[in-house]
Amino acid sequence: MEAVAARPSLPPPWHLRAIGSAVRWLDGSPGLKSFGPFVPILLLWAGVAQAGIFPRIFFPGPWDVVLSFANLITKGILPEYLEDSLLRLALGAGAGVATGIPLGLLVGLSRIGHRCLWPVIVFFQAVGDIAWLPILLIWFGFGLATMTFVIVYTVLFPVVFNTALGVRSIPLEFTRAAQSLGARPWRILLEVVVPGALPNIITGLRNGLGYGWRALIAAEMIVGTSGVGFLMFDARRAGQVTEVLLGMIVLGILWYVVDGWILVPLEQATVERWGVVARRDVP
Amino acid sequence: MADLVIRKLGKTYFDLYAGRHVTAVADVSLEIHTGEFVSIVGASGCGKTTLLNMVAGFIPPSEGEILLGDRQVKGPGPDRGVVFQGFALFPWKSVLDNVAFGLKMRGVPRAERLRIAEEYVALVGLAGAESRYPTELSGGMQQRVGVARALANSPELLLMDEPFASVDAQTRMTLQEELTRIWEAKHPTILFVTHDVDEAVFLSDRVIVLTRSPGTVRAEVPIPLPRPRSWGRLVEDGRFKALVARVLALVRDSDPPTNPAGGQERSG
Repeated sequence: MEAVAARPSLPPPWHLRAIGSAVRWLDGSPGLKSFGPFVPILLLWAGVAQAGIFPRIFFPGPWDVVLSFANLITKGILPEYLEDSLLRLALGAGAGVATGIPLGLLVGLSRIGHRCLWPVIVFFQAVGDIAWLPILLIWFGFGLATMTFVIVYTVLFPVVFNTALGVRSIPLEFTRAAQSLGARPWRILLEVVVPGALPNIITGLRNGLGYGWRALIAAEMIVGTSGVGFLMFDARRAGQVTEVLLGMIVLGILWYVVDGWILVPLEQATVERWGVVARRDVP
Repeated sequence: MADLVIRKLGKTYFDLYAGRHVTAVADVSLEIHTGEFVSIVGASGCGKTTLLNMVAGFIPPSEGEILLGDRQVKGPGPDRGVVFQGFALFPWKSVLDNVAFGLKMRGVPRAERLRIAEEYVALVGLAGAESRYPTELSGGMQQRVGVARALANSPELLLMDEPFASVDAQTRMTLQEELTRIWEAKHPTILFVTHDVDEAVFLSDRVIVLTRSPGTVRAEVPIPLPRPRSWGRLVEDGRFKALVARVLALVRDSDPPTNPAGGQERSG
C-alpha cells in the first residue's frame, strides 16, 4: 500500500483531460444534465446510419429525424397530436387519481373495505388495460371514451395499491397522538392519514402516470384518429420510418417533462420538505 | 382539573407468539390528585406502559375502571394529553402547527391558537424554531415540541411515557430540569412512566413502584424534596440519594427470584 501511495502521480494525458472536462461541463449545466448520457447513444446511431450498413429509408440518422421534427412542427401536426395525447392523459390520470386515492384509503383503513374490495381489485388488475380494448371497442367504438377508460384503468391500480400501503405504514403513535389531542375520525383522515400516506401516494402517481402514458400510446395505435401513438402507426403504414422514430423520441422526452414539471415539484414541496424521504440535492 | 382515580385495573391479553393468555397488569388501584406529579417505575416488562395506555384510552382495560373527575375513561380524548417516547410529531407540520394541532382540532380560531402555540413553544425554550420541521430538529428539541403540543391543549392530565428515554444523557438531564420548571410554572397533573429511578425521584411528588408480571402496585414512596429542584443541588443531596436507594431496592426486589434483573428485555 505504501509503495502505491509513494508513487508520483503523473497528470493524465491531454485527451483524457479533455473528455473529463467535457463530462464535467455537461454534468454541471442543469438542462444538459439529463441530455449528457444520451450523447454516446446519438453518436452510435449517427455512426451506424452514416456507415450505410442498412438502407437509409429503413434506418435514418438523427439529422433526418430532426428535419422531420421541424417539418411536422411547421405543418402543425405534431403540436396538435401532442395536445390530443396530453389532454387524454390528463383527463384519464385525473379521473384515475380521483378514484384511486379514496379507494386506497378505504382499503387501507377499513377491514371490511379491504375484505370486500381487495379480491376484486386484484382480479381486475390482472385483466390488464389492453385486454379491455376489444369489449370497449364494441361498447364505445373508436373514440375518447374508450381511450379514457383505458388510461383511468391503468392509472387506478398503482394509485390504489400504493395509497393502501401508505395508509398501513403510518405509525400507530401518529393516530394516537391525534386522538389524544381531540381529533375526530374525519379530521384524522385529512390531517394525519392523507399526509402520512403521501410519499406512497406520489410513488403510486408516478407509476400510474408511467403506465398510463404507455397504455395511451398503445390505445392510440389501435383506436386512434389522432395523437402521438396514431402518428407513429400512421407513419409506419406510409413507410415513414423517420416519423416512427420521432414519435418514440417524443414519448421519452415528454416523460421527462411530466416528471420534471409535475412530480418533482410536488415531491419537493411536500415529502422532501418534511424530510420524510431523502432530498435530491443530497448525494 | 380533576383527580385521576384508578380502581382494580387489570389487563389480560392473548399472546399470539406464546399461545397463551398473559396478564400484563393486575389489580392496580391508585389516585393522582390535581396538580400532583406522580411517577410509575418498574423493571422492563412490568406493564407500566400498558397501564398508561389504558389511562390514555388507547387500549381498553380487561377489569376495573379509570375515572378522571366524575367521568369514566372510554377511549382517547383531549382531557388527557400524551407525550410519547418516540415523540410522534407530525413530520408534515411545522413546530408551530404541531403545537397548535390540538387547539385546531377543538375549533380555536387561527389567530388565537397560533398565539397560544407561540407561548408554549417559548415555554419549552424553542422560540425562533416555530417554522422549522420536526426532522430538522435534534431528539431533545423534538421532545420539547412534544411536551409543548400536549400542554398547549390544556389537558386535565398529562401522560408521559418514558419521554426522555431516547435522548442522550446530558440532554435528558436538561429536559428533566426544564420539566420541573414547567411543572412549577403551570402545575399540570402529570402521570410519568419511566424505568429510570433517578429520573422518577428527581421529578415527582410521589413514586409508585410496580412489581413485574403481572404489574401490581408494590409500594408508594412520597418524595418530600424541596422545589425548585436541579441536578446541581440534588446530585450530592443525602436525602435524594437515600430516596433513590429505597426506590431502587423496591424495584429490584420486585423481580421474581427465578428471573434476575435485566434478564427480560420486553417493554410493556
